Amino acid sequence: MARYIIRRLLQAIPLLIIISITIFALLQNSGDPLATMGGKRVTRSEDRVRLARILGLDQPIYIQYVYWLVGNDWVKLDINQDGIFETTGQRKGVLRGDFGNSLVARGQSAMELIKERIPNTLVLMIPAEIIILTFSLLVGIFSALRQYSLTDQVITAGSFIGYSMPIFFVALASMYIFGVNFRKWGLPYLPTVGMFDPKIGKTFSQVAVHMVLPIISMSLVSISGYSRFVRSQMLEVISQDYIRTAYAKGLSERMVLFGHALKNAAIPFVTLVGIDIPFLLGGAVVTETIFGWPGMGRLFIDHLTRFDTPVVMGILMLISLAVVICQLLTDIVYGWLDPRIRYT
Amino acid sequence: MLNKKRFFDLFVLVIIASFVLTACGGGGGATKAPTEAPPTAAPTEAPTDAPTQPAADKIITIAWTQEPDTLNKAYSSMWYMSVLTDIYSCWPWIYDEANTVHPFLLTELPTVSDDGLVVTMKLRNDITWSDGTPITADDFIFTQAMITNAANTVYSVYPYDLFTITAPDPQTVVMTFDEVFVPWMPNLWLGTLMPKHILQPVFDAEGTLDNAEWNRAPTVGCGPFNFTKWESGSYLRFDRNPNFWGPEPKLDAVVFQFVPDDAAQTAACLAGDADICYWPPYEDMPAFKKAGMSIVTEPSGYGEGWFFNIRDMASPGIRDLNVRKAIAMGLDRQSNTALRMSIVKVTETFWDALPQYVDPSIVQYKYDPEAAKTLLESSGYKDTNGDGIREDKDGKPLTITQGNTDKTERQNHQALAQQQMLAIGIDLQTSSYDSAILFADYSNDGPAATGKLDIMEWSDAPYFPDPDISYWLCSEIPSADSPQGSNYFGCDETLDKLFKLQSVTANQTERAHIFWQISKYMHDNVLYLGIWDDPDTWIVNPRITGYKFSGVTPFFNIGDWDVTQ
Repeated sequence: MARYIIRRLLQAIPLLIIISITIFALLQNSGDPLATMGGKRVTRSEDRVRLARILGLDQPIYIQYVYWLVGNDWVKLDINQDGIFETTGQRKGVLRGDFGNSLVARGQSAMELIKERIPNTLVLMIPAEIIILTFSLLVGIFSALRQYSLTDQVITAGSFIGYSMPIFFVALASMYIFGVNFRKWGLPYLPTVGMFDPKIGKTFSQVAVHMVLPIISMSLVSISGYSRFVRSQMLEVISQDYIRTAYAKGLSERMVLFGHALKNAAIPFVTLVGIDIPFLLGGAVVTETIFGWPGMGRLFIDHLTRFDTPVVMGILMLISLAVVICQLLTDIVYGWLDPRIRYT
Repeated sequence: MLNKKRFFDLFVLVIIASFVLTACGGGGGATKAPTEAPPTAAPTEAPTDAPTQPAADKIITIAWTQEPDTLNKAYSSMWYMSVLTDIYSCWPWIYDEANTVHPFLLTELPTVSDDGLVVTMKLRNDITWSDGTPITADDFIFTQAMITNAANTVYSVYPYDLFTITAPDPQTVVMTFDEVFVPWMPNLWLGTLMPKHILQPVFDAEGTLDNAEWNRAPTVGCGPFNFTKWESGSYLRFDRNPNFWGPEPKLDAVVFQFVPDDAAQTAACLAGDADICYWPPYEDMPAFKKAGMSIVTEPSGYGEGWFFNIRDMASPGIRDLNVRKAIAMGLDRQSNTALRMSIVKVTETFWDALPQYVDPSIVQYKYDPEAAKTLLESSGYKDTNGDGIREDKDGKPLTITQGNTDKTERQNHQALAQQQMLAIGIDLQTSSYDSAILFADYSNDGPAATGKLDIMEWSDAPYFPDPDISYWLCSEIPSADSPQGSNYFGCDETLDKLFKLQSVTANQTERAHIFWQISKYMHDNVLYLGIWDDPDTWIVNPRITGYKFSGVTPFFNIGDWDVTQ
C-alpha cells in the first residue's frame, strides 16, 4: 500500500505541471487584465504600457510562466525603462511557495487572499456536504425499499423537479420568500445576503443563521440528483443473489441492508463523493455570488473576470492538488469497502 | 484504517475547526490597523480585531456590488473605490448635487494665472488628518512625488506628470504646468491625497508604496469617517471621525456590504438588510416604488452610445456616411429607451450631460425607417435577391458588425437594434464580450483595437464635469507598433485638430465654442450616436434623512446624513 501511495504521489508531479501549463496558457489568452482594470473607462495607453512593463505582462508567455514557477529574483529588471536593468525581481515562484501578488487586490499576495477565504468556504460547504450526503442516502434508500409505492412516486417527482431547477432560481426564490416576503408578512424571516450582519459582527449565531438559505439552495438540487443515484444502486444490489442468501440465512433486515447491501451500493457513490470533495475548496460560485458569501467561489469568479492570473492560478492549482489527493483517498476507501480490491 | 468512531470524531473536528477559524478568529479577511502609524496616532480609533463591532445607534448599510481593489485611490480606477474617498479621504474641492464645485480643503477655489500655466491653492489652516496632524502643502507635494515615482505601480500618472509643484508656505500649493492644461480640476487630487507622515517612512523603508498596509487600511484619513475594518468579500466599515475638522457627522458608522448579484442587491434593499442600493436593474424600480423607497438619479456624465468605426479595416458600409445616417434614423431609440422605466432619456451627443458644450443647432436624428431606406437606396444598397438584406452594387450584403460588453440591458438593446436594422435591410451581426476582452489591446487581438467591429456600444463619459476626452485623437489609434491606443474609431484630421485645440484653450467661452464645433461635426458625420443617458441611480430607504448625491463626488454631504429611529 505504501509503495502504491508513493507511486501515485510521484505520478502527480508531472500531472500538476501539465495542468499548470495548460491553465496558464488558457488564462494568458483569454483577456487583458489592463484593459479597464475594473474601471468604467478604458485604461490610458501610456498607463497600459507602463503597467505592463512593471507587472511583467509585456514578457513572452513562456517567460511569464517561468517567473510564475521559479520566481524572478535571479534576474535584473528595467522598471523605469531607462535601458538599465538595475532592479532585482521580487517574486520567489510557486515552487518556493510564492504564487505572486494579485493584479486586482493591489499589494496582496494571491496566497493571502486564498487563505482568507478558505475557512469561509469550508464553514459553508462542509455542513452542506454532510446534509447532502445524509439526506441523499436516506431518501435514496427509503425510495428504493418502497419501489413504486406512492411515497416513492412522490419522492421521484420531487427529485425531478428539484434536479431540473437551476440553482440561481432556487437561491433567489428562497431569498425572496424567506428573506423579503416573510418579513413583509410579519413572519420569522432569514437574512438575505452576507455571512453575518456587519452591524452585529461575526458571531456563531449570525454565521449559522446566514448559512441556512445558501445550504438549502445547494442541498435541494444536489440531494435530488444524488438520491436518484443511491436509489438505483440500492435497487440493483438488493436484487442480487447474495442478498437473497443473506435473508435466507436468517439475518435481520437491518443487517442485510446496512451490512451488505448499502456497503456494496456505496462503492460508486464513493467515486462521486471523491470527485466532489476537492471542489468543496473551490466553493460554490453561483451560491456564494448570489448570497454574497465571502468564499472561494466568489474569489475565483471575481478575479477570473479581471484575468488576475496569480489568484486564479493559485485557486486552480490548489483544487488540482486536492483532486489528486482525494482520488488517492477514494482508491483507499474502495479497498475498505470492497476487500477484493488490493493495491500493490 | 480509521475506525468509524475516529472517522466521526475527525469529521466533527473539521467542522468545529472551520467554525473556529471563521467565527472566532477575528476574521481571516480582517484588515488590521497598519503598524506604520506613529505612536501618537489615533487614540480614539475603534479596535479592528474585535470579533463583534461596538454597538452603535446610527449605522447605515449600503449594498455595494463591487468590492474595491484597494483604498489608495492612486492605485485604482474603479468607480466603486474612488467614490469611497468622499467618506474617509478629502478633496481640495467637492461637487454638490448640481455638480457645482465648492472649495473643501481650500479657503477658496484655486486661482489660475493669466497665461493658464500656474494654479495656486490656498489651504485652510484648520484642516487635520484624523490623528490630529495638520494637513499641509507637504502632503500634496508628497502625493505628487509618489504618483510619479516609477517604483510605485499606481494606476495612472496622468496628469500628475504634467506639472511641477512647490510650496511657498505650508498653506500654499503652487502647480506650474509645462503647457496649458485646461481640464486640471476634474483630473487632479480626486481622493488621492496621502498622509506624508504615515507613508514617507514606508517608502523610505521599502522603496515602494505598493505593499503599504495603509493602502488597504487607511486608518489615518481626513474625511468625516475613519476607516475601521475591511473584511475581504464581506464589508467595509467606516466609523465617525471624532477628530474631523469640519462639522461633526451625524451618523455613527457607514457600512458597505458587498453584494455582487443585482437581484440579491434588490432583495437586500427590499428586505431592509441594506439601506441604499446603487444602480439596480431598471425593471426593479416598480418594486422599490411599491416598497416606499426613494429613487434618486444624478447625472454623472455617462451615456450609453454607439461608437462608429471608420478605419480602413471597417466594412465599406459603415464608412459610407449615408449608411451611418440611415442607421441613426433606423434605430428607434425612443421606444428602446422607454423600456427603462422613464429613468433615462434619449441622448444625441457624447456631451449631453454638459449641455453648455453641445451646439444648440443640433437636431436629433428622428426615427424614420422610410427616410433611412431612401438614404440606403441613394448609396446603391438594394435588396436584389429578396432575402430582406440589401446588397451593394457588387452584390455583397450590407452586413455591419456590432459588439458590446456583456451587460444584460445592453444585450437586450442589441437584440432590438438587430430587428430594427433588419427592417431597413441592414444585417446587423451582433456579439457580446467581457470588458477585458472587448478592450484588450491590439497585441492581444482585442476586437475593438483591431477594428473587427463596425459599431461598438458601451456607456462612457468625458472627464465630467469637464468635457475633455482623448478617444478621437489620431495619436491614439492602436496598431502593431503602438498596441495600447484607445482610438478604435479612426483618425479624422479635423476632429484631431479641434480636440487638441480645446485642451489648450484656457478661455472657457472659446473652449465651449470649440466643443460646439466638435459635437456638431461628430453629429453630422455620425461618428457617435447617443442611445440613452446613464445617470447614477440610488435607491434610498426612507429612514435616511439629509442625503444628497453628486455625480462627481456622490457622498459629498455624508456628514449631514442621519437616520430616523
